[in-house]
Amino acid sequence: MSSTSTSTQQQMDQIKSWLLAKKPEIEDIDPDFDIVENRVIDSLSFTEFILFLEEVSGREIQVYTESVDVFRTLRSIQDNIINGTAA
Amino acid sequence: MTTELIDAGYSQSIDRLSNLSVDTYYNPYKTFAWPESLPDRQWWMSQDLMTVYGTPQMQQLDESQLMALSKWESINFYSLNIHGIRELLLEVTKRIHSPGYEMPSKFFHHFIGEENEHMWFFAEFCLRYASKIYPDRSVKLSSETYEPEVESLLVFIRILVFEEIVDYFNTRMSMDASLHPIIQQINAIHHQDESRHIAFGRQIVKQLFTQVSAKYPERLQMIEDYVKRYIITSIQSLYNPAVYKDAGIAEPHSFRRALLDQPVRNLYHKQFVKRNVDFFLKTGIISQGIFQ
Repeated sequence: MSSTSTSTQQQMDQIKSWLLAKKPEIEDIDPDFDIVENRVIDSLSFTEFILFLEEVSGREIQVYTESVDVFRTLRSIQDNIINGTAA
Repeated sequence: MTTELIDAGYSQSIDRLSNLSVDTYYNPYKTFAWPESLPDRQWWMSQDLMTVYGTPQMQQLDESQLMALSKWESINFYSLNIHGIRELLLEVTKRIHSPGYEMPSKFFHHFIGEENEHMWFFAEFCLRYASKIYPDRSVKLSSETYEPEVESLLVFIRILVFEEIVDYFNTRMSMDASLHPIIQQINAIHHQDESRHIAFGRQIVKQLFTQVSAKYPERLQMIEDYVKRYIITSIQSLYNPAVYKDAGIAEPHSFRRALLDQPVRNLYHKQFVKRNVDFFLKTGIISQGIFQ
């Protein structure tokens, strides 16, 4: 495994841990599990989640309503926030 | 919408507040003598309202750094006002002259007009003296919907929480002689109008809560949890990493987290929301305080 992918995995582990702490009744989060629909995050925790993602990814995230789908799954967060340039 | 607002005291209150709005009306576009510029090296916000106040982190910043931080914290505060007003304008406009809101619509006209003007002068301040408005980070997720009456109650609770916290800051800064006169003035004028909006907000929240309690008692625990979380979220929004970055503070996210972890900050948070919490306790919307 390359150092880049190791770093990505560590970042994703941090994100998963943060989410699991918000919803202790869930044991694990599948990459395609919808964390919005299943209320792991909601409107009131969304901003804190964005700030946490900024800290983990080291980049500023611009939030617009149309880009909420980017934050729905771990897979999308990895593709668009951790490895990508969206949002 | 089946909301029926029938309390006689409520009706009299609507009339009284509407008349006050007419009697105290001013033209905001002519009210302020905006200075061409404001010096960076000054207090832009009362020190005891700053997010570092009372913390060890404050001791590590010199006066020049604290003044810079006060500038960006004030711009964040006015930016939050702008975003909060946008939401309340949308929500109140959706309800004006719709079934169930026949009585308060008279005051809604003043409310919408005055809030639009507040949004203008806060934006004017941000753009004139900082050339920016911090972006809104909040999002309403579509997975959360409730019965219309419950939605309306949550809307007016959000408006009231927002206005009460803002008013605490406005009141303090309007009387703080260490601040530039234009800063004191915008806070004083906002406080003057908000006192009516808060009085109205308390009335409509009480009315809607009475209805929801009777019709949807199963929602009351959710509403209590929501109110508490919304107040906490509102306080957290004062701590903006973009502000710390603009003030030249290294590792702004860690700095934010460290401040929020300081137990002393809860003493100040408790003061900021005291009137809010007392009202929600008195009306039975919440059963326990926040920031204990």
